[in-house]
Amino acid sequence: MAIDGLIILDPAGRPIIQSSYTTYPAAYPLLHIEALNNALAKAPREGSVDPVIYVGELSCSSACCHVEVGGMRFVATISGDVDPLIAFAFLDAFIEILHDYFGIVSVATLKDNFDIVYQLLEETLDSSGHPLTTSPNALSDIVLSPSLISKLLASVSPATPGVPSARQGGYGAFTSPIPWRKAGVRHNHNEILFDVVEEMRGIVGNNVFGKIESNAKLSGTPDLTLTFTNPNVMTECAFHPCVRLQKWTRDNALSFVPPEGRFVLAEYQYRPPQSALISNVPIPLSLKANMDMGEFGGTFALTLTSRLIKVMENLELIFYLGEDATSAQCTLSSAGSSVGSVGSADGSWAFNSRTKTLRWEILNMRSSGSWILRGSWTSKIKAPRPAHAFQIRFEIPSYSFSSLKVDQLRLSSETYKMYKGVRMRSKGSIEWRW
Amino acid sequence: MDGINLNALSENATRLGMRIQETIAEHTRDLSLTRGGSSLFDMADDKTKNITKQLESSSDREKLDAMKRLIALISKNRPVSSYFPAVVKNVASPNLELRKLVYIYLLRCAPSEPDLALLSINTFQRDLADPSPLIRAMALRVLSGIRVPTVATIVLMAVRKSAADPSPYVRKAAALAVMKVYKLDQAHHQTLLDIMTTLLRDRSPLSLGTAVLALDTIAPSRLDLLHVHFRRLCRALPDIDAWGQVDVLRVLVRYARTMLPKPVPASERQEEEVDKDLKLLLACAEPLFMNKNPAVVLAVARAFYYLAPPPMLSKIGAPLLRLLSVSREVERVALAYLLVVARSHPALFITSHNRLLVRVDDAEQVKRTKISVLLALCTVDNHQTLLREFVDYAQDTDDSVAGDAIHAIGRIASLVPSSTSQCLTALMGMINSKQDIIVSNAVLVLKSLVQHQLLTPSCNPTTTLATSLSSQQALLTSSIPSLTPSIPTSLSAAHLPFTSSESTSIVQAPLSIIAQLARRIDDIRHPHARACVLWLVGQYGSVPGTGTTVEGVADWAPDVLRKAARSFNTEASIVKLQTLTLAAKLILLAPTHRTLILLAQHVLTLARYDEDWDVRDRARMLRALLVGAVADFMSSNDEEGLGENWNKKEHAGRPGVVLRREQVTRVLFEGKSGTIGEEPVADSRPLGTLSLVMESESLHLHDDDDETVIDLPEWLEQGIDPALRDSDDDAPQAALSSTAQAISSQAISSQHVPTPAGSTPVVLTPAGGSTPKDTKDWRDLNKFYASESESESEDEGEEGVEEGSGIDDDSGEDEETSEDEGDEEDERVAEHDPSPSHEKTVL
Repeated sequence: MAIDGLIILDPAGRPIIQSSYTTYPAAYPLLHIEALNNALAKAPREGSVDPVIYVGELSCSSACCHVEVGGMRFVATISGDVDPLIAFAFLDAFIEILHDYFGIVSVATLKDNFDIVYQLLEETLDSSGHPLTTSPNALSDIVLSPSLISKLLASVSPATPGVPSARQGGYGAFTSPIPWRKAGVRHNHNEILFDVVEEMRGIVGNNVFGKIESNAKLSGTPDLTLTFTNPNVMTECAFHPCVRLQKWTRDNALSFVPPEGRFVLAEYQYRPPQSALISNVPIPLSLKANMDMGEFGGTFALTLTSRLIKVMENLELIFYLGEDATSAQCTLSSAGSSVGSVGSADGSWAFNSRTKTLRWEILNMRSSGSWILRGSWTSKIKAPRPAHAFQIRFEIPSYSFSSLKVDQLRLSSETYKMYKGVRMRSKGSIEWRW
Repeated sequence: MDGINLNALSENATRLGMRIQETIAEHTRDLSLTRGGSSLFDMADDKTKNITKQLESSSDREKLDAMKRLIALISKNRPVSSYFPAVVKNVASPNLELRKLVYIYLLRCAPSEPDLALLSINTFQRDLADPSPLIRAMALRVLSGIRVPTVATIVLMAVRKSAADPSPYVRKAAALAVMKVYKLDQAHHQTLLDIMTTLLRDRSPLSLGTAVLALDTIAPSRLDLLHVHFRRLCRALPDIDAWGQVDVLRVLVRYARTMLPKPVPASERQEEEVDKDLKLLLACAEPLFMNKNPAVVLAVARAFYYLAPPPMLSKIGAPLLRLLSVSREVERVALAYLLVVARSHPALFITSHNRLLVRVDDAEQVKRTKISVLLALCTVDNHQTLLREFVDYAQDTDDSVAGDAIHAIGRIASLVPSSTSQCLTALMGMINSKQDIIVSNAVLVLKSLVQHQLLTPSCNPTTTLATSLSSQQALLTSSIPSLTPSIPTSLSAAHLPFTSSESTSIVQAPLSIIAQLARRIDDIRHPHARACVLWLVGQYGSVPGTGTTVEGVADWAPDVLRKAARSFNTEASIVKLQTLTLAAKLILLAPTHRTLILLAQHVLTLARYDEDWDVRDRARMLRALLVGAVADFMSSNDEEGLGENWNKKEHAGRPGVVLRREQVTRVLFEGKSGTIGEEPVADSRPLGTLSLVMESESLHLHDDDDETVIDLPEWLEQGIDPALRDSDDDAPQAALSSTAQAISSQAISSQHVPTPAGSTPVVLTPAGGSTPKDTKDWRDLNKFYASESESESEDEGEEGVEEGSGIDDDSGEDEETSEDEGDEEDERVAEHDPSPSHEKTVL
């Protein structure tokens, strides 16, 4: 009646790491791996596999919930009538922990540090199927991370006097009175950085979701209060457990004792101040599409124009040409651009014959001018069925849709001075129908 | 501060030293900068021989290396139990890193090697007194993981000891161990319950969640044990960790359903009546909507959905929508829940339907659920927008999504009658699509719409429908002459059947749709859709009066039969069957028309030699039916020797079954009830369950309904006496919690005085001060027992009253039985060994 275990599969679908399924039939993990691999093989396109796969072979009904990270599949198997959200929340927490420990989560790092992964697994998931300690700060006391610095030190000064290895480590564990924060942290240089990342999502542009990521290196037990000049642009908020919710509901101020290191302080949705509807934030670009569908293919002419004064980066337009698409041919051009010479558009396009998608990329999109992509594609069937919308992704550095502004950050309970930094960043992932 | 600082420093130094030692040794051997894990992970099998030797060496480094190799073997599913004796020797190693790896090994292998694990039990028992809470907890976890019934008593002692441990982490492990011991041996049920009462009084939110979970696992029927803790649990809710919040909320929802009075919605006569304990629970749970963990958000939404009085339900809308933007996987699961809520309370989401629109890159399942949700939100006001969306989704690259979208258009037409004309226009437009799948789905939907309209003409404003279609009709009628020349009979003398006056009559409008479908029969290739059109043409092809070319038959009908007859041999069986039916119906309508009879005979003859049993049988049946009804049928049959013989033989055998024309008409045309677009079935599965998410495939899950009942019981008519929930905690709670709350994340308030650095003002748990707490606990225990016995006596009193007055028999009885069950279970457990009947509750 809970999370039965966790399996990590490599890109080929073979298990790298799996928790112990001692109380289950021997075939249990294999059946789930097989069910997942079958489903992945059958999927018509990437991302169309149901993230919850029901496995009915065993007497107890079970399912595997899977997430893809770095080419690998993280699978949590659940049995009984459990909420699959618990499994996904756990997977999310576990992957976050791996990021915290190894920086990159890849087959190589996991194989290199498999003993640590097993220790983490043991500490985060009890054999009864219930998550145990998932706060990265508390875990770092229990399971030592393979810090690169210690390795470098080791190679530089090999002659450290032999410290008796007994009674070290582990004794700092669970002494902290706050579950999410380590006790007795000291830094010579105290700093806390905030990254406000906002993402526009929706169809023909509407909702903006924001996230305040934070990286804290503060000594002792800092009690922080973060206030905004315009907190009313934030709605439907979600917070890290460290944030005192009552204070937020009362004063719209974030009062918290931060954990050490990286964490996501808050998530919110942008509410434009004057409009009644949440979802009409203007899109920073426009697209004109002329589509002409013929037999065994079609032609298109797409014109992209920026509506923003800032430069948009890594703009990417993706167009799914349908299961039966065979090839595509395009020409790029740009027009009316005041900067740079006309014709030498700094963009590129590519057709991926495996995913059947056409990808158009513009690394730097200036505020004026327009970018044009003309082309045609061919298809095996007479009446081609391309997707009815383009997906457009872009990034805008040092910009925020909501213009959320931090008023001040106060530190109480500690006396030192700290360095404070706030950075804004925006992304977009919108769908444009034609 | 300096002291702490120094401690931390020296600790770091020792750790560093340890790590350095390890790495040097590794480097000297591997001469590489990596940790060498990968090489260990992928090592060849022949190297495994050294492991035992390494484990017995004196160097910790060698032992560590060996343990890593072992764990690598475990993850490759190789047998490792043969190393057990060698590993167990290291269980008391002073090296913590090594010991942790040994524990991991034991946690995995102890269950399969219980006898060998027994060898190490002494060590674990010693470890239970280790100064490090980490070691104590690990020892307890290994100990409870050894699944040998004979050690149950030892484990039980260990659990009892750990339940009073000063570290909440160890107490948490104790609560988890309670579940494992119970699974192992139910004979200790009573002892475990005693331990539970200790654990439930825990002040630390860290272990409280697990304690509630353990109680729920070992004694789901003993919700009465929670009476005195209920209010404290509610208040502690914000401070429990996310996983605990999910478990506690689940149990509290159950508690509220069984123990609290159902909220009475406000009505004209009385005010809204909500129990104050229920209010407390909801008030304490509400801030958790702002939790980052999707499982917690759902758990709170679930609590509101099943407990809150209707006006408060509006609070679950926004949080559920927020879940959709967390991740693709969460979106998939949350949508399934959202669909259930949207069907019962569409008002919550109507204004935000644009967040539920289908994206091109959504997974198929997500797209289909979104379409269902949007359909549930359809109202007179937004149907225009939704219709546009569905028309767009019909172009989807996924067939099932396109199909769902087209069927959704049909549903809009029946949900919002005024939109029928638009929906029909949209569907008729789809008939012209180049995509087979769109055409066939549109035909299917059109068929049910038309049929629905024809069957229930009074409830639909068909006049609007008719006028809206008049333009199409004009188009249609003008094009008919162009078709008719292809009919090689007298049919070519086409007479336009529809006049404007006729078209306003009730039946004409849907008929014009059929006419249009009939005209497009060549483009409708999907067998199912083709069969549909053929059936429609036959069923509704009769025209009263004499206005048409063939008397009694609509002008568009005969040509359909001609086309179907021509391609008969290449059609699918389902189309063949409908062609036969169409032929029979048409000659029944025009029994004297020579060409039609010839066509029908041609088709019937082809069917006689068809591969398919059903087609042959259908032809045979229809022929027999028609023999008496169509006079010329017989005579024309003479031309075909075979047919004649066959007919004569049939006749000779059973002369009595010849039906008159009226009878045959009745057989062929009547009693065809239309299929009205199926209503979405009301969902009985509770939110937050796998079976709801896996609705389409959860056949196995649907069997165990009793589990659902346990998880989400019906409200009782009347709650139990709220006085039972009074506890000593309530009064001192405020004072006591000033410590507990000041620290707690949610409640540090302005009263919190910034203290100089050095002292730790934020104390979540009295980690060090175990002694004073223990004494307090013991004092509390007595009080607790007192209060429990009190509650029992009150229960009895209540029952007595009920017997006397005879009111509220239901609630009284329900409670009684639940109590009885609880008792009975205890007795059974005490009497004999674990019986299989307990397994259900265990699992």
